[in-house]
Amino acid sequence: MAHQWGMVIDLDRCTGCAACVVACHAENNISTVGEDQAARGRAKHWIRVERYYEGEFPDVRVKFMPVLCQQCDAAPCEPVCPTFASYHTIEGLNGQVYNRCIGTRYCANACPYNVRFFNFYNPEWDKPLNLQLNPDVSVRSVGIMEKCTFCVQRIKASEIQAEAEKRAVKDGEIQPACVQSCSPHAMVFGDLSDPQSEVSRLARSSRGTKLLGELGTQPKVTYLQRESWHGAENA
Amino acid sequence: MERRDFLKISAATGAVAALEGCGNPDHQLIRFVPEEDMLPGLATWKPSICTLCPAGCGMLVRVMQGEAEVVRNGQLGILKMGLPKKLEGNPAHPISHGRLCPRGQAGLQVTYHPDRIKTPLARSGPRGSGQFQEITWDEAMKQLLSHLTALQTSNEQGKIGFLTSPLRGQRKTIVHGFAAALKAAPPIEFAFLASRTIQEANAWSFGSDALPTVDLSHSNYLISFGADFLGTWNSPVAQSVGYGHMRNGRTGQPGKFVQVESRISQTGASADEWIPSQPGMDGVFALSLAHVILSEKLGTAGAAGHAGALIAGWSEGLPDYAPAAVEKQIGVPAATISRIAREAAANAPAVALIGDGPAAHTNGFFNALAVNALNAVLGSVGKPGGIVFSPVWTSQSGKPGAAEGKKDGESSVRTLAEQIHATPDSVKVLLVDGANPVFATPMAWRVREAFEKVPFIASFGSFIDETTVLADLILPDHSPLESWLDDSPESGSTKTVASLAPPAMQPLHNTRSMPDVLLDLAHQLGGPVAAALPWKTYDDALKIAFSSLQKQKGSVSATDADDFWTKVKDQGGWWSAEDKSVSLAAGKIPAAAVKNTAPQFDGSPDQFPFHFLPFASQLCYDGSLAHLPWMQESPDPLSTVMWGTWVEMNPRTAEKLAIKQGDTIEVASQHGSLRAPALIAPGIAPDVIAMPIGQGHTNFTRYASGRGANPISILAPMVESGTGSLAWAATRVKISHISEGKIVMFGASLTDASPELKHR
Amino acid sequence: MAQKTPEQINEDLLRPLSGTSGRYLIVLAFLAGIVIAALCSFFWQVYAGLGVSGLRSPVFWGFYITNFVFWIGLSHAGTLISAILRLANATWRRPVTRCAEVITVFALSIGATFPVIHLGRPWLAFWLFPYPSERGIWPNIRSPLLWDFFAINTYLISSVTFLLLPMLPDLALVRDRAAGWKKKVYSVLALGWTGTPKQWNRLERAMHIMAIAVIPVAVSVHSIVSWDFAMAPVPMWHSTIFAPYFVAGAIFSGIAALILAMACLRKFLHLEEYLLPIHFENLGKLLLVMSLLWFYFVFAERLTAWYGNDPSEMTVFWVTQTGSFSPLFWLMVLCNFVIPFPLLAIKKTRTILGTSIASVTVVIGMWLERYLIIVPSLSHKYLPYSWGTYRPTWVELTITAGTFAAMVMLYMIFSKLVPIISIWELKVGLREEAHPAPALAPSHTQPNEVGAD
Ligand SMILES: Nc1nc2c(c(=O)[nH]1)N[C@H]1C(S)=C(S)[C@@H](COP(=O)(O)OP(=O)(O)OC[C@H]3O[C@@H](n4cnc5c(=O)[nH]c(N)nc54)[C@H](O)[C@@H]3O)O[C@H]1N2
Ligand SMILES: Nc1nc2c(c(=O)[nH]1)N[C@H]1C(S)=C(S)[C@@H](COP(=O)(O)OP(=O)(O)OC[C@H]3O[C@@H](n4cnc5c(=O)[nH]c(N)nc54)[C@H](O)[C@@H]3O)O[C@H]1N2
Ligand code: SF4
Ligand code: SF4
Ligand code: SF4
Ligand code: SF4
Ligand code: SF4
Repeated sequence: MAHQWGMVIDLDRCTGCAACVVACHAENNISTVGEDQAARGRAKHWIRVERYYEGEFPDVRVKFMPVLCQQCDAAPCEPVCPTFASYHTIEGLNGQVYNRCIGTRYCANACPYNVRFFNFYNPEWDKPLNLQLNPDVSVRSVGIMEKCTFCVQRIKASEIQAEAEKRAVKDGEIQPACVQSCSPHAMVFGDLSDPQSEVSRLARSSRGTKLLGELGTQPKVTYLQRESWHGAENA
Repeated sequence: MERRDFLKISAATGAVAALEGCGNPDHQLIRFVPEEDMLPGLATWKPSICTLCPAGCGMLVRVMQGEAEVVRNGQLGILKMGLPKKLEGNPAHPISHGRLCPRGQAGLQVTYHPDRIKTPLARSGPRGSGQFQEITWDEAMKQLLSHLTALQTSNEQGKIGFLTSPLRGQRKTIVHGFAAALKAAPPIEFAFLASRTIQEANAWSFGSDALPTVDLSHSNYLISFGADFLGTWNSPVAQSVGYGHMRNGRTGQPGKFVQVESRISQTGASADEWIPSQPGMDGVFALSLAHVILSEKLGTAGAAGHAGALIAGWSEGLPDYAPAAVEKQIGVPAATISRIAREAAANAPAVALIGDGPAAHTNGFFNALAVNALNAVLGSVGKPGGIVFSPVWTSQSGKPGAAEGKKDGESSVRTLAEQIHATPDSVKVLLVDGANPVFATPMAWRVREAFEKVPFIASFGSFIDETTVLADLILPDHSPLESWLDDSPESGSTKTVASLAPPAMQPLHNTRSMPDVLLDLAHQLGGPVAAALPWKTYDDALKIAFSSLQKQKGSVSATDADDFWTKVKDQGGWWSAEDKSVSLAAGKIPAAAVKNTAPQFDGSPDQFPFHFLPFASQLCYDGSLAHLPWMQESPDPLSTVMWGTWVEMNPRTAEKLAIKQGDTIEVASQHGSLRAPALIAPGIAPDVIAMPIGQGHTNFTRYASGRGANPISILAPMVESGTGSLAWAATRVKISHISEGKIVMFGASLTDASPELKHR
Repeated sequence: MAQKTPEQINEDLLRPLSGTSGRYLIVLAFLAGIVIAALCSFFWQVYAGLGVSGLRSPVFWGFYITNFVFWIGLSHAGTLISAILRLANATWRRPVTRCAEVITVFALSIGATFPVIHLGRPWLAFWLFPYPSERGIWPNIRSPLLWDFFAINTYLISSVTFLLLPMLPDLALVRDRAAGWKKKVYSVLALGWTGTPKQWNRLERAMHIMAIAVIPVAVSVHSIVSWDFAMAPVPMWHSTIFAPYFVAGAIFSGIAALILAMACLRKFLHLEEYLLPIHFENLGKLLLVMSLLWFYFVFAERLTAWYGNDPSEMTVFWVTQTGSFSPLFWLMVLCNFVIPFPLLAIKKTRTILGTSIASVTVVIGMWLERYLIIVPSLSHKYLPYSWGTYRPTWVELTITAGTFAAMVMLYMIFSKLVPIISIWELKVGLREEAHPAPALAPSHTQPNEVGAD
């Protein structure tokens, strides 16, 4: 069976530090759009850390929730795409073929998670910032939809390496950039088709939930809910 | 149109198009011979060190072959070279554990920044105008040398000042060695977030003039007094790794995390229990907890040892700090205080932290001592799950200047400015490296005005910033990725860490490594200066220094010196084999036990009704990273603001003053005022106004200049009474509504009472 | 109309073709100016990127798709209404059908440009076409956008046919009266119509087949347009009511457009004696029925959402009922129901003026309805953190204005080229009044008889 790549995000561990956000920019050649465009809702963050305040001062709580493409198995963004630019790969990823995209933005409307980002202008890098661009990832032109790929270039690199060494990909061998950067180890990536993998084990946790799972999108990201401290109070 | 005209025109445009194709200088660049042996498409990983904050995380740099436009020997051309593409934590490094914070991730943009200073510059316009002309390194060195020798001959070397960012390792050895040999004034190491008060308190309580290493992965209970330990304070990556472990990474009970502060920080956002308290009352809170522990016999006064004995009333069980007596002062119910104390005592190992904010009050030193005493009575000092002090590898080069002198706080810049204002002649040459006090000190200190009086300023800066723009001569340093680096972090690991990194890439521009420039200067100055700095290059100095580690038990075992050197370079440093914390000496014995004095605030409460709380920005840090587009465009974790700043206030405060989200408001202290957009958020006390540090640069590259406002500028020159550090949390302000405004937020606000929210 | 002779009919209805006034040219130039401005805006958008529009995350569809749905909706005026009236053999339809069918063709053509205008890479729009690409890549037939492509093309072809077929006798009439190059042009357009009984017979049969066939096509078109929305799991889009709701709304706005077009033609082409109050009255009644139907659909849609109380739907619900979109929502209710209902229900106000006023508000209201279906939902999807707002820029405003100008312009030009009221059908009407007969066309016509009258 083909790998089924998935992710677990432990909300109990996530500190909202945003390292994943910057790591994704660095890895995936996501261009910055500048203040004016950011103000007009054109900033692109393939992963964002959603922040929700609860309650009123002084009983305030904050929740952080990193949201990236959930690589849905029943992805609403896929059937609506007229050119097959948004499609499902054999390894269960929601692939995005930039060359095929004509920019209807239908997929972005259909995605319940709002994780698809559109290039309203051609991306620009003030020289020599362009030297940073990752040659393993294509740069997206104007008029094209882009989104988290689960760092497919890293997945492929590891698969090719493993094949060259005539072995299976090891659990934990592949780390998308966001996972790699996460200091409190809130994110775990791996193969859901392997019941022994860390991601599979964590995904089965009783704390596990799917974001908007009720919509039937069958996301491959599992969120582990926060636990309230149940220690010895008034001991 | 005549047919002939048409032909003429099309011929002409055709020719222009053809010329444009070939005439584009991009296509005419000379191809330099590739300097490096890299396989196209294949990545290599090189160790390096993150220098963007004092934590000193070890990194790995992903380097791939690429083509860069570079100038070599005055010629512009294309060079196939190894280019860093991604920074990641070095998994072998005891501080980063293979991780980096968002700032560390963005370090690449320092190297590739379009506004880097690419070649030596000499001032060509009035001072501060930003007009410079390009000069050669020979000219630059000659100019600097002539200023130094002039003072040498007139025997005024003492009038040479050296202002740097905090230094460690061999860089420190060379800078201090250079200054000492030159008989210049001792270098001043400036940083806004220097944590001087906490270090000093630790010296008193525990005999270690350093920030603690927090062993969170073994803690069961954590009380943090305003320490943004998951964001910016101390060693955030190491602490976050430990925190993840404490939350959910081990079998058994996850630890509880209590955060005490008056504005919810990114760190406080993760707390199990968030307790707002009155500004400056953290020491009282800590001692009230200690009172409960002592009075309920959950711990003994003697167990706190010296750290406890320092506190007035400790041995009597802190009678003045009964929760019921202090609850009003702290702003926390007595029942909560008692409960926290009991929980902490019951869930050993329990640990308390104090951050820079609580220490930045006029009684900050006392606050820090009190938290130290609490830690001591909780039995968490030097224990797993508590705080320990890391054995720091001090310079082993055996050369003068290497000795660890007294650490500087930001207040030494104030002293310097005062000195210049008092005797304008007292500093004739000022060398600046990495520090930007013109931005990061209150206007009331008049640092800019002082520097303007200095006859000659030379900067080693990579960017024009508010301080470097005043320079007469700029000798641009390499970026960290282009440099040899070494570091010996003071906290973050229980191992002794000596990080080392060779350059990860060839220099892009016509820059030179600052330590090499100093060594070169020393050789040209000759005499005792040259003798004091005998190394030919910086890496020679590093090699010699590191060779002393070969005999110690550590992460590298080598057959000979060269082998050792190679392995240390490959690994990104050396760290000791065993976890070892410094054995704690009794600290200073004061004449009398330390008593709390109520925190003082600048400005009367009726005229200036709000406490003003600046805080370090998770992305722009202390402002030194505001020039990186990734840091500007990444949403702040709490406010989600991009490309700007904000003034955070409670919804009730906003309602009272009829301020709406994003409105421009004016914040005024007795010492200045600023304008910024309002951010209405529930996680802040109604009498507190908070503002991130980082924006408000007048002159700091295209991405940061003229953006937002700088909260440091309006701070009152209040000082911490024990250490003389800036009490940057001791200013009161008033606010007034100016106009409608704009705030760029990535997340839709959940705090405005839109009808759609009411129904959710 | 009994008092009109066939000669008078010819005279009156061919008059607009014979000359243009200065006023006509000024208006035409003004409209052309707007259209050119819109074209320039579009090319600027193609050159600079869609960033020049007000679209943004998460409101990826705005004015353009609003206009798309609006114009496609408006196109239901003609062909559908005319087909129904033809099948029902409503005799009062005769002066009305052609101006209705023209609306369809133009509105549809204009509407169909928007899916291209709104593309990020419009130069690749042809990838939506199923053509045998050398790479063997076909478009995704699962995508409602593909269904749109087929539906709109089918509808366009059939409505053009439906317009052209009954135009042939009149084109032949114009041909016979014209001279010079005009004669040549009309000869080509008339497709050799001579009015033989065989031709009449075939025309009659073809019209009958078309009238039946075009109804399901029209219904399917707006159903499919509705499915662009209903197929996506977006709050308040994902609803089974959308197809009939959209079709009803389309007919609603279509009738209003027709009334407006008739009122303008009546005034500017001096057709007071052909487009009679009774036509407005009858269409007004239809509009009244559609207004009630529209109100019912809106009510039903909202009631089920409210009763179901799904949080994400309720967000959009309240945003439109009482939140930031409520002024537009209540304006829409005012335009589509509160104003037209009494105007159309009271016989006294169901006049030409009354129905025209009602139609103006309905056209505005139906545009707002399309906007309110699209934007509030997109700006308030499931995760509140990612909510957003939308404001159009001058580019979208200009392009929108350009399409309205284009519609009027095309209509004006058309009415100068082809008799906007079917001459032969009026004549048939005259004859039927004399000798009532159920047949569509006179069976006893001689070659070219109609033209020679
Ligand atoms: N001067 C110069 N000329 C060269 C070369 C060179 O190095 N220099 N290289 C040569 C070589 S090696 C090659 S392979 C050729 C390549 O030459 P081309 O085959 O012309 O390749 P592209 O320029 O990539 O253009 C392919 C086109 O397909 C479009 N496209 C992308 N996806 C689809 C799709 O799904 N359907 C359709 N219909 N179109 C699609 C793209 O937008 C683009 O317009 O050029 C050759 N010519
Ligand atoms: N961005 C982008 N990437 C592409 C494509 C694209 O259109 N755009 N096209 C793709 C396609 S279709 C192709 S075929 C590939 C082509 O990719 P490459 O095969 O990399 O093609 P080039 O870059 O044209 O040439 C490679 C190198 O060969 C050198 N060279 C020329 N002649 C000789 C010779 O006689 N001997 C030797 N040893 N070296 C020589 C050139 O100087 C150049 O450095 O690129 C693919 N990648
Ligand atoms: S890096 Fe990890 S901890 Fe930080 S915001 Fe992302 S998921 Fe959360
Ligand atoms: S999260 Fe959105 S973009 Fe990703 S697969 Fe699901 S629907 Fe598609
Ligand atoms: S925007 Fe691109 S990927 Fe999305 S539906 Fe349209 S063509 Fe497909
Ligand atoms: S998996 Fe890769 S592409 Fe996706 S959010 Fe993480 S870093 Fe970005
Ligand atoms: S904490 Fe962040 S900025 Fe500081 S050294 Fe580590 S990675 Fe760099």
